[in-house]
Amino acid sequence: MWNQIQQALSGATVRLLSQMAGLLPGIVALVLALLISTLAAWVVGAMLRHSLTGIHFDQKLPQWGFPSLADWSPHKSPTLLVTRAVSWTIVFIGFLIALSVFDVSLTSEMMHRFVEYLPNVLAAVIVLVAGSFIARFLARSVLIGAVNMNLPYARLLSAGVKWLVLVLAVTMALEHLRIGSGIIRLAFGILFGGIVFALALAVGLGSKEMVSRSLEREANRASTQATEEPVSHL
Amino acid sequence: MGLDAIPEPALEQIEHAGGGTDLVIGMLGTSHTGDAAAAVAIVHEVLGKLSNGTRAVLVVNDGQKGPAVEDVQSVPVLFCHLPTPASTGGPPLNASAAYHTVFGLSGRLKARACGVILSELQPVTAQWIYRLVQPALDMGFDLVAPRYARHKLEGLLNLSVLSPLHSALYGKRLQNPMGPDFGLSGNLMQQILGQDSESRRANPSYPLASIASAAVCGGFPVCESHLGVRLQPPTDWMNLSSLLAQVLGPVFLDMEHHAASWQRTRGLQAVPRFGDPEPAPEEAGTVDRSRMIDSFQLGVKNLQDVWGFVLPPTALFEIKKLSRLPADQFRMPDDLWASIVYDFALGHRIRTINRDHLLRSFTPLYLGWIASYTRDLETAASAESESRLASAYEAAKPYLVSRWRWPDRFNP
Repeated sequence: MWNQIQQALSGATVRLLSQMAGLLPGIVALVLALLISTLAAWVVGAMLRHSLTGIHFDQKLPQWGFPSLADWSPHKSPTLLVTRAVSWTIVFIGFLIALSVFDVSLTSEMMHRFVEYLPNVLAAVIVLVAGSFIARFLARSVLIGAVNMNLPYARLLSAGVKWLVLVLAVTMALEHLRIGSGIIRLAFGILFGGIVFALALAVGLGSKEMVSRSLEREANRASTQATEEPVSHL
Repeated sequence: MGLDAIPEPALEQIEHAGGGTDLVIGMLGTSHTGDAAAAVAIVHEVLGKLSNGTRAVLVVNDGQKGPAVEDVQSVPVLFCHLPTPASTGGPPLNASAAYHTVFGLSGRLKARACGVILSELQPVTAQWIYRLVQPALDMGFDLVAPRYARHKLEGLLNLSVLSPLHSALYGKRLQNPMGPDFGLSGNLMQQILGQDSESRRANPSYPLASIASAAVCGGFPVCESHLGVRLQPPTDWMNLSSLLAQVLGPVFLDMEHHAASWQRTRGLQAVPRFGDPEPAPEEAGTVDRSRMIDSFQLGVKNLQDVWGFVLPPTALFEIKKLSRLPADQFRMPDDLWASIVYDFALGHRIRTINRDHLLRSFTPLYLGWIASYTRDLETAASAESESRLASAYEAAKPYLVSRWRWPDRFNP
């Protein structure tokens, strides 16, 4: 009996060791692939950092309408953020390729789904970037226009326009990412519709007198100035 | 527009009728429906004062008749249809069309000189036109700029920005570097027509910004003529920001175009003046300074972020300090104002923010300057304020030159 136990144990040990020996080449290949992708990520990251520094990316980004990106970036440097994002993406792709050594069907299916999802991610990023840019542009236009019309609530109007456009852009991005599309659509509808309805009620009912007095005052002021003030500009 | 909107048969007709023309006069201020005879009478009076044998062609803005050519009392008259300038106190929105029409016709007829009147035609007399064209025709000057009789609250944008900026940049002191009435010689017209394609790219809709600068940078002799009182339409205060964007945009673009020239210019010269100055009319009415100060303070409260793209921290600090002053102590220093204008010109060039936003955000600062200027008038004459302001622009020019050459050295 003792011999049978010994035989069973040695057989299991042999099977275990042979399976482990079978995995070893895969592990070596995985480590090698990771090393190569890390090296590639480092090279690409260095080149990208050099290029972005050369075009003064950190200084130009606020002028392009993204002043807050620096606050989210490591060491307040958007260049570093972009460089690290690209580097880690390369490392991740290397990892996925390395996984194919173990189970071809599993990783190929993962890759297939990842590649299928990638256009949605790209579209969402484009929508977010464009939405952010448009929101800031419109907000600034409204702010300057409202100040020139002597409206004391200029900043409120500007913020309202900015957040409306941003909420729209985020909703569209989430729609592209297929994240909770039903509930997002519902929440957006309620939020956006609620804001517009509230504004309409405020102007139509609550602030009717104030808004009409404000507009009337400005119109009277302009016409009085035109007739009574002897100022001309050219 | 140029001569494109005028049919070729009409052009050939006027070329035939106006062959050997010395002078083209464009009276394009307002539609002069059925009043060509009055305009021609003025032209006859002008020709009577000029040298014998001077021949002229008249261009009149008449929407009902144009485009057409008629011979009225021996003067060939080209009737053209140009949309009337908007009566908002703003720039003649179709100055481009008017100037291109007159220049194109002058070039085609090889005229020795031309005079363009874009002001309201009611006060325009033969003496007015004579003083615009005679120096160009007979005295060797290539550009005759207007000098109007103004009360101290007229032409404030011209007074605060256009005139001192032009003087500091190009070294020639002109009361109205942007006319809108000018007399030009054939040589200068050829130069401007030759640069036309490039100019149109820089200033597609407003050539007035570039006529005086093109003349000075090209070394053409420039003079001024006293013309009299110019009729001004009432100011549209609701559209002041549009006015500023329409006027300052082409001026700043023109600065970019002539940067190589004005960076080398040193000193300031007065230009010869012709005619006797007329007494300035009395201004009627008062200015509501408190409203302008309120607009300025609202701008300071809300537009710091926008101004921060173009103005350095010191200027922002000074502006903020100014906004806290009571109305009776509100005074914007001339050097601060000059540096603000220069910073906006730089911001326009390097496009720190959208150009239209930049120019429209200038409005509260301009209103603050007006409030300060009207307070200054209580203690000093208008001429003294003008002279001080011109000196401030001249003194701040090295600042402009250094920032223009090395914009990256300072990044607000």
